Amino acid sequence: MFNPRDIIEILAANVRQTKSPFGIPKFMANTWHKDLCLPKEGEYLLFTGLMYQFAPYIEKSTQYLEKYEDTKIAGYLKYTRLLPGYFSGIGLAMMTKPKEKKKAAKPLKDIAYLLQKSKVNFGYRPDLDNYSGILLYDMGDQQGFIAHAKKVARQLQDAGIKKIITIDPHTAYAFKELYPKYTGFGFDVKQYFELLNFEPKDCGLEVTLHDPCFFGRYQKLSDVPREQLSNMGISVTNIRNQGEFTSCCGGPAESISPRLSNEIMEKRAKELQASGKPIVAYCPICLGNLKKSGADVQDLSTLLAKHA
Amino acid sequence: MSLVTLDFAEELKEYCGDNAFECFNCGTCAAICPLVHDNFPRRMIRYIQVGARQKILENSDELWRCLHCGLCTQTCPREADPGEIILGLKRFVVANWRKS
Ligand code: SF4
Ligand code: SF4
Repeated sequence: MFNPRDIIEILAANVRQTKSPFGIPKFMANTWHKDLCLPKEGEYLLFTGLMYQFAPYIEKSTQYLEKYEDTKIAGYLKYTRLLPGYFSGIGLAMMTKPKEKKKAAKPLKDIAYLLQKSKVNFGYRPDLDNYSGILLYDMGDQQGFIAHAKKVARQLQDAGIKKIITIDPHTAYAFKELYPKYTGFGFDVKQYFELLNFEPKDCGLEVTLHDPCFFGRYQKLSDVPREQLSNMGISVTNIRNQGEFTSCCGGPAESISPRLSNEIMEKRAKELQASGKPIVAYCPICLGNLKKSGADVQDLSTLLAKHA
Repeated sequence: MSLVTLDFAEELKEYCGDNAFECFNCGTCAAICPLVHDNFPRRMIRYIQVGARQKILENSDELWRCLHCGLCTQTCPREADPGEIILGLKRFVVANWRKS
C-alpha cells in the first residue's frame, strides 16, 4: 500500500495545475473527436468528463505503481509532487503506446455514433469537456474537489449549457449529486444509453453484464442497458451479484494499492467468467480493470454499435 | 494523549454528519465489505461512537482501502450510511494533515 497522503497530494496538485489528476494535458488526451466533424450546438452537450480518455494512462501508471508497491522506492513517491504536473503527465503520455490510446477512443466514437443513429440532438465542445474532479472527492480532498468543480460548472453555465449527456458512472454521479450540492450549479443529466432509440432486432446473443457500483447501486440505472440489449435480441445472464447488489471491480483502489485492487478484480472476474459468455462493462475503470484478468470484456457501446 | 476525546462527535459533524450514532454494531457492513479486513468499516464507526479520535488517526491509512462501493450502505439495517461515514473520515483526516 502506498502512503495515501502522498498519492492525494500528487493528484490534487495535478488537478490544480493541469485540470487532470494524471497531469496529462487535455490536448494530448482528448483527440477522439478530431476526425468526426461533430456539431458544436444541440439540445444536449455531450460531456465525456475525459474518463475514457484517461484509461490507457491509468493503466500505464498502475503498471509502475504495481512494481514499487511496498518497496523502498514507494517512499520517494512524495517527491514527485515537487515536479510540475505537466512534466510527469507528458512523461506518462509518452510512455503510453499509440495503439492503447486508439483503443481507448473506440467507446467514445461508438457512443457518438449511437447518439447520432438515435437522432439525439447533441453538440460537442472540446473546450467545455473537462474532468469532473471526482477522484479528489472519493479520496477525501473535499476542498480540492469543490474548487475544481466550481471552475468546470461555471464554464458550462457561462456557455449557457443546461442539459448534458454523460458517458461514465462517476462523472454522471458527480453532476447529478455532487455539483448541485457543492457548486450551486445544477444540470439536467442523462446517461447516453438512456437516450438511445433503435428498431428492435434479433441478434440471438447472450452476454454477462458487469454493473458498475455507481450505476447499479448509487444511481439505480442497471435496468436501462438491459432494456437496450433486450431490444436488440441480446439476453443478459443472471448472476448472483448484479444490479443494486453488484460487486466492485476493484478499480477504485488502483492508485493506493494495486495489489488490493487486483485481488478484488480477480474475484469479480471469476464470478463474471463462470457463465462462459462474453462480458460487457459500461464504465472505463471497470473495463480497464477487468481486462487485466485476461477475460473477454468489451464496452457496452462497442456491442451496441456493432448491432445497431 | 487521552484515549477518548469527549467532543469528537461534535468535531466530526462537519465531515461526517452524525449518522454513526444510528449504528447498533450488528456487523452487517463488515460481513458484506469486499475488503474482508479486521471488522472494517464497523470498527471505525465504533471508534467514532466512543470518541477514539486518536485510534482513527493512527489507523487512518486503512480508510483509503475502502472502494466507496456502497455495499455496506445498501445493506445497513439502521440506514447509518457506513460507506459515507468512511468517506467523511477521509475528509476529516485530510483536513487534519493539512492543518498540521
Ligand atoms: S451495518 Fe449499519 S448498524 Fe450494522 S454495524 Fe454496520 S453501520 Fe452499524
Ligand atoms: S463502501 Fe467501503 S467499507 Fe463499504 S462495503 Fe464498500 S469497500 Fe467496504
